[in-house]
Amino acid sequence: MSETLLDVQNLTMKFGGLIAIDDLSFSAKKDHITSIIGPNGAGKTTVFNCLTGFYKATAGSMYLSKNNNKMDLKKFSDFKVAQKAGVARTFQNIRLFPQMSVLENMMVAQHNKLMTASGFSILGLINSKSYLQKEKEAMEISKYWLDIIGLTNRADDNAGDLPYGDQRKLEIVRAMCIEPHLLCLDEPAAGLNAKESAELNKLLKFIKNDKKTGILLIEHDMSVVMGISDHVVVLNYGKKIFEGTAKQTKNSPEVIEAYLGTED
Amino acid sequence: MGKDLIQKSLKDSLFTGIIALALFGPIVGLRTVAKNEVLVVEPKWFIVLLIVAFCAIGRFFINIYSYKKEQRRGEPSSLGKAISNFLDEKGAQIAIAAIAFSIIFPFMPFADRYWMDIAIMMMTYIMLGWGLNIVIGLAGLLDLGYVAFYAVGAYSYALFAIHFGWSFWICLPIAGLFAGMFGILLGFPVLRLRGDYLAIVTLAFGEMIRILLLNWYELTKGPDGLTGIPRPSFFGLPFKRYPDEGVETFHTFFGLEYDPMQRIIFLYYLILVLALITNAFTIKIRRLPVGRAWEALREDEIACKSLGVNPRNTKLTAFAIGAMFGGFAGSFFATRQAFISPESFTFIESAIIVAIVVLGGMGSQTGVVLSTIFLIGLIEVFRDFESYRMVAFGGAMVLIMIFRPRGILAKRKPTITMGKHG
Ligand SMILES: Nc1ncnc2c1ncn2[C@@H]1O[C@H](COP(=O)(O)OP(=O)(O)OP(=O)(O)O)[C@@H](O)[C@H]1O
Ligand SMILES: [Mg+2]
Repeated sequence: MSETLLDVQNLTMKFGGLIAIDDLSFSAKKDHITSIIGPNGAGKTTVFNCLTGFYKATAGSMYLSKNNNKMDLKKFSDFKVAQKAGVARTFQNIRLFPQMSVLENMMVAQHNKLMTASGFSILGLINSKSYLQKEKEAMEISKYWLDIIGLTNRADDNAGDLPYGDQRKLEIVRAMCIEPHLLCLDEPAAGLNAKESAELNKLLKFIKNDKKTGILLIEHDMSVVMGISDHVVVLNYGKKIFEGTAKQTKNSPEVIEAYLGTED
Repeated sequence: MGKDLIQKSLKDSLFTGIIALALFGPIVGLRTVAKNEVLVVEPKWFIVLLIVAFCAIGRFFINIYSYKKEQRRGEPSSLGKAISNFLDEKGAQIAIAAIAFSIIFPFMPFADRYWMDIAIMMMTYIMLGWGLNIVIGLAGLLDLGYVAFYAVGAYSYALFAIHFGWSFWICLPIAGLFAGMFGILLGFPVLRLRGDYLAIVTLAFGEMIRILLLNWYELTKGPDGLTGIPRPSFFGLPFKRYPDEGVETFHTFFGLEYDPMQRIIFLYYLILVLALITNAFTIKIRRLPVGRAWEALREDEIACKSLGVNPRNTKLTAFAIGAMFGGFAGSFFATRQAFISPESFTFIESAIIVAIVVLGGMGSQTGVVLSTIFLIGLIEVFRDFESYRMVAFGGAMVLIMIFRPRGILAKRKPTITMGKHG
């Protein structure tokens, strides 16, 4: 029985009259990949936006357990969720810094610790040894992750020039650079071919098992969901209609009706 | 197919001609002149005809040109590419050559008073361009009120120097500090604004500062301006022909003949050093975390937030540092002119500096130099043609935007590299 990482209770999000999330409760465990699936417009991305402080939830609670310490995510606004609570995310439409190099993208993700190391730029301006050392370490971390996704030889190219699949992977490892406790991925397999999708599965398993980072995954690609999810939450019209293991989900009549469709 | 194109282009250029006529007819064609103490309207149809013909024919050729370009899409546009490639490869050497040239410039045989004044003016614009480049080029915040910081720097320098009699090197950092504080003051209310909205508010801010300077008579002497701003001295040695009793001057100290050019040359080196400091600082800070965060913010603010980058602090530092350099330049302006009034800080100044940055290629330090030489040079060349200066200025901008839509030097160098083999 592993410990709970994220605990969401009675989360509700309204946009005027539209109820995008309706009284949603679920939890995610520390060494799990928890998937959120559901048809278009079900409210999946909205859940992420509430968790990561981009939207202020109308009601409900969200707690993240970090070193036996329960943190109320509602207390943090956007950038603080990443900075203080260690929740990282990617976006449904990739959001890299396209005109900056791959390596620079990775360095920006390590901004906060580098900013401290640079003495808010003063130590950096005078080329202090301690800062240069920290910068080198940050480069090594970047290289470590780029090696894993096989992009080290393109480190100095603009991120926007990478092929689509590589951009997806880069966005994920960039998020890992903030050393998150929880990684939220919004449709990372969208637009990937079968080979890339298999590589993605491997990467996510590596992050879960070796980096001990909990993953919350929104995904439409069922081969990804079924292949790697430990737990699945199914949404429809903002409501949770099912929750269970991948296998249970695949066989649940409600889910098939609402989302998966009747298979032959 | 070719015939079709020509027909279309002709139609288009006819239309352009009509618009040009409507625009320039009343503006240029109708001049009021005083004759026997009455104002009469004197039509100048020939000039209007020239302008209209120029616009129409220009439009025709642009159409043909862009059609040809479309045909060979994919092929790089030759001249601009060649220039920027050349600058990329030989960048370091060119920079050294340019700096060397600026150092020996005052001793060139042709460098008379006129040339020195132009050089000083250009150098001031280059420094302002480099300062604004931090805000616009790096952080991507379109600031149309930059002249406000130039003004704050000039006025705080002047006030401290006049009332306390402090020297240039003490007043300079104070003026920079004041300007930086105003940068933060402007930064706070516009944190949430982007693009057009940001541009409008910053523009208004620039005007507010100017109007404040006009109306706060007790402090700024309003439209009369501040006079008697101390001239700069060479580390305590004044540039004066007839110094006060017992005061050593620059020329007596070095045993030279008095020459008013000595002060001009000193001013030239002063602004050169200030500009080079601005440049070195920008190049360095761009490679630090805060500089990378500026550029990241320009690229995608939401992605920045998701990585824990504080957009508020990042933007405020950009505003503050950019404003500080504007303030330094303002101090220089005040000490050079010895007289300042709100008239020197109108919107057109902001517009010119923005044009320098944007035409140079957002974020490019060398681009700022090139576009300053080009634009300020152009204004200078057309000085004798009075009101046509701005037409030439506008025309030059249009040309650059047609041929180099992302600025003269659009290529960006990464702030950190892994090298070929990691
Ligand atoms: N900022 C907003 N303002 C108003 N309505 C919104 C906003 N964001 C989302 N919605 C609405 O909330 C509902 C859920 O949207 P959401 O983007 O969360 O769906 P999703 O499950 O991620 O869908 P998809 O699979 O297409 O990504 C939609 O009806 C959407 O129109
Ligand atoms: Mg979505």
